[in-house]
Parts: sequence; C-alpha cells; structure tokens
Amino acid sequence: MGSVNLRWMALLLISIALTGCGRMMEDLKPSNSDKHHSGQIAPDFTLPDTNGASVSLLSVLSGTTVNGVVLYFTMWCPTCDVHMSSMRSSHIPIYPTIRFFAVDYVSGTVADAGHSELSNGYAGSGFTVLADTTQSVLNLYHATMGTTVVIDKTGMIRMNEDYKDDRLTAVLTGLP
Amino acid sequence: MQNRRLKILCAALLLGAASLLPSLSPSISWAGSCCGGGGGASLVLPKFYQAMADVSFDLERYNGFWNQNGKYTSDPAGSSLRQYRWNRGYAQRLSPKWQASILVPYVWNVNTYSSASHRTRGIGDTALNLWYEALEDTSAWKIRGLKDLAPSMTIGPSLVIPTGISPYDGVPSDDVTGRGFYRLDGNIIISKTLHPWSASASFSYGSYLERPVNRELDYVTPYRKKLGDRSSASISLSYITYLGTGGDALTATASLSEMREADAARDGNRIDNSGLQKDSIGGTIAYSSTDHAWGVRASWSHAIKQDGWGKNFPATDIYSIGVNYGFR
Repeated sequence: MGSVNLRWMALLLISIALTGCGRMMEDLKPSNSDKHHSGQIAPDFTLPDTNGASVSLLSVLSGTTVNGVVLYFTMWCPTCDVHMSSMRSSHIPIYPTIRFFAVDYVSGTVADAGHSELSNGYAGSGFTVLADTTQSVLNLYHATMGTTVVIDKTGMIRMNEDYKDDRLTAVLTGLP
Repeated sequence: MQNRRLKILCAALLLGAASLLPSLSPSISWAGSCCGGGGGASLVLPKFYQAMADVSFDLERYNGFWNQNGKYTSDPAGSSLRQYRWNRGYAQRLSPKWQASILVPYVWNVNTYSSASHRTRGIGDTALNLWYEALEDTSAWKIRGLKDLAPSMTIGPSLVIPTGISPYDGVPSDDVTGRGFYRLDGNIIISKTLHPWSASASFSYGSYLERPVNRELDYVTPYRKKLGDRSSASISLSYITYLGTGGDALTATASLSEMREADAARDGNRIDNSGLQKDSIGGTIAYSSTDHAWGVRASWSHAIKQDGWGKNFPATDIYSIGVNYGFR
C-alpha cells in the first residue's frame, strides 16, 4: 500500500465523515418553514371516538367544565407509548379540566382504532381516542407522530409541536 | 424469563442452523422507520486479502414493539411495516495488521396502515471502520500445543456518520432512514476456530456526539440533544463443512445478540424512558468458493416477540442475502 493511496483514502474518509454535518446546519439556523401555530385559532373538526360517538372540537370546548384540550397524534409506536404513558401519569390526573385526546391517524376504521387502544393498554386511561381514518385532522394541524397541540378555552392554539413533558406542563399551567 | 432465554440460546446454538460469514462480524441490525435505519454488520477482511467488496440486500419486517416497560405490543391492526436495505461495503487492507472498511446502505421504507400507505427511500447512515488484528488464530485442525488454543482478536474504532434522513430533518416518521447523530464506537472481535467448529464473540461500546436540535419530527424549542451510550454484544457458534474435494466450504452459524442504549439527554438532563434494548437470535448459511474469492450468504435475525426481549424498540425479523468478492 503506497503512501499516495493512503493519502487519497484518508481524504475520501474525511470527506465522507463531514457529509453528515450538512443536515445539522439546518438546526443551527432554523428555516422559516418551521411550523409554530401558537396564537392562531384552532380549526374545528369532528371525528368519531372509539365508542362511535362523534366528537367536535368546538362542542368540547363549549363544555362548562372544560378549560382546554390536548390533542396528541399517535401511531401506536414505542415513542408514542412513552409520551402517552407520561401524560397518563403526569398530566391527566393533575389537570381535570383539560380533555386529553389521542388522535389515531393510522387506523382506517373506528374498530381498528379501538383495537389499538385496547392492545396498547389505553382503554379507560383518561385519553379519548379519536379515529382520524382519513388523516384529515393530521393534515389540518400539519401534525406528525408525537405532535402535541394545546388549545385553550377560547379556541386559541397555545402549543403545536413535538411532545416534551416539561413543555406541556408549562403550557397547561399557564392556561387562563 | 432467564431460564427461557437460556433454553432458547442453547437450542439456537445446538441447532447450528445459522451462521455469519467469517468476514462479517456479528452485530445487531438497526430497525428503521420510526427509530432510524441503516446500520449493518462490519466488514472485516480475512487474512491474506488485500480488499473485499460486499453487497447485501436486507428485508426488515416489523412485527410489534416492546414498550418502555418491556411489554410486547402488537402493531396497529391492518398495518404492514417493512424496510428494505441495499448495503454496499468495501474493505481495504492498509498494512499486514491494519485494515479499513466503509458500509453505505440505501433504504426503502414501505409502510402500510389501514388508513394510508407511505413509500419513501434514501441513503442510510454510513459506517467507517478501522481494524487492527491484534492476535492471530492458527485455525488448527487439531490441538498440538498451547498456541493452537490462541484466539484471534481484532480491535478498532468505528464512526457512524448521519448521512441518512433523521427525525431532526423535519420529515414524517415514515421517511426516516437514519438516526441523525455521529457515533464513535470501540469494537473488539474475538474468535477461535478448531475445525470444523468456530466460535466468536464481539463487543462494542459507543458514544453519540451531542448536537443541536430544532425539529424532532415536528417543531421543538431548540435544545442540545445527546443520545445515550450504546453497547452491543454478540456471540456465535459456527460449523464448517467442506463440499467435495475441491475446497468449497459451507458454514452454518447460530448467534445471540444484545443491544442496549442508555437514556438520551436534553441540555445535559436525562430524558426518562428514552433508552432502548433489543435482544435477538440469528443465523446464516454461507458458502465460499474454493479459492475463497467469492462468498454468498443468507441470514435471518429474529426478535423474540415476548415480554422482556426488548424495550422501547420495534420487534423485527431481518432477512438478508449477500455476496462478496475478495482480492488477494
């Protein structure tokens, strides 16, 4: 193995090693396309829950004992389970005037959503599971796996981003 | 649970129905889609080879997951989640004891749910390896002295480069082909051959480099993230059969692999329940030609879909076929 070959190989390896840096620069300089809907009025929607009842956002918010709504978009994955489990233990018992909805956007039928709710251990958990069978609400909120939306009593979006335990706590605590 | 694991391990080893080609170190394969993809085995040159090219094709089929408590849970009804990987590897000898290799996967995610389907593709995370052959195995047919008992030992660092599409690129989960972090590993492979048997053990310990994050599939308040240190271990037992008098060899190996990743950190603070665990059994049938220039293999890595065999991780079966050509 000649020294020339070794130099070329070293150069090649360094070039390859640096290719991973390009994607990280986006995080140092966030682009303008980043979604951040706080302060906007939440678009209304109506979805069936796993019991077959029709749930409308506006009608939920108009309830006298409801001070806000949390939408969590789930595809029933390991990460989703960590998030939902955290909400079940850390948020649902502490904020009784907040309604927690798990929006299942991967089940094509209400029956499939009900099956996932049961097999993942969330039946009777404090979450109301909504079946977004056409992914209409997913698209409406530009959501993806783990997106957590907090909507206050007036229908204003207070948070629309990936789930973070302490961030959710801060937003819910700050609700009027 | 421990007894059950032991029984399965013993059964797997005794069956001898699996193998890893001697030039490939056993390692855990990384699940894709929701948790990042790309990684494969490390390419290690056999003695007397100057270089080797390796191409393999993987099918990883998702079948449920283990939650943060280790409870096995089924995937949503009506879903079919698959990842295909085309792995291209090349190893080059740098000196009699030093060698380097690169592995670049190309990934296809084919995910179908009862509500929608997604097909995406892209390059996965690239792995660079540097190996030093610290000890040499004489691969004895019969033990005549102490030196015949000496195993081979190969050590070296590896670097995983986040060339794949990660959750931090602001893409839907179905588009993910990589983890988005640099990781530096220290690796050791110990193996011993006493024809026709061969056993090996490999260990890796790696640390991810911290990076800034402003997306995690969706928007997040910018912070600095560091994934937890990752350790993996694998043991395997092989049986080598020579076909006819020409020297063509068929190798069958069984293996057991474990992978652990500690909790990640956000701005230096531990993120609860973010660690991972996956245990799997596997095996390969490998054929090598008389002059060992060509090698062909088929392998299977199987996750035990029961509680306790993983944590926070998808349960998958990985089917792989591969071919390599060595240059002397």
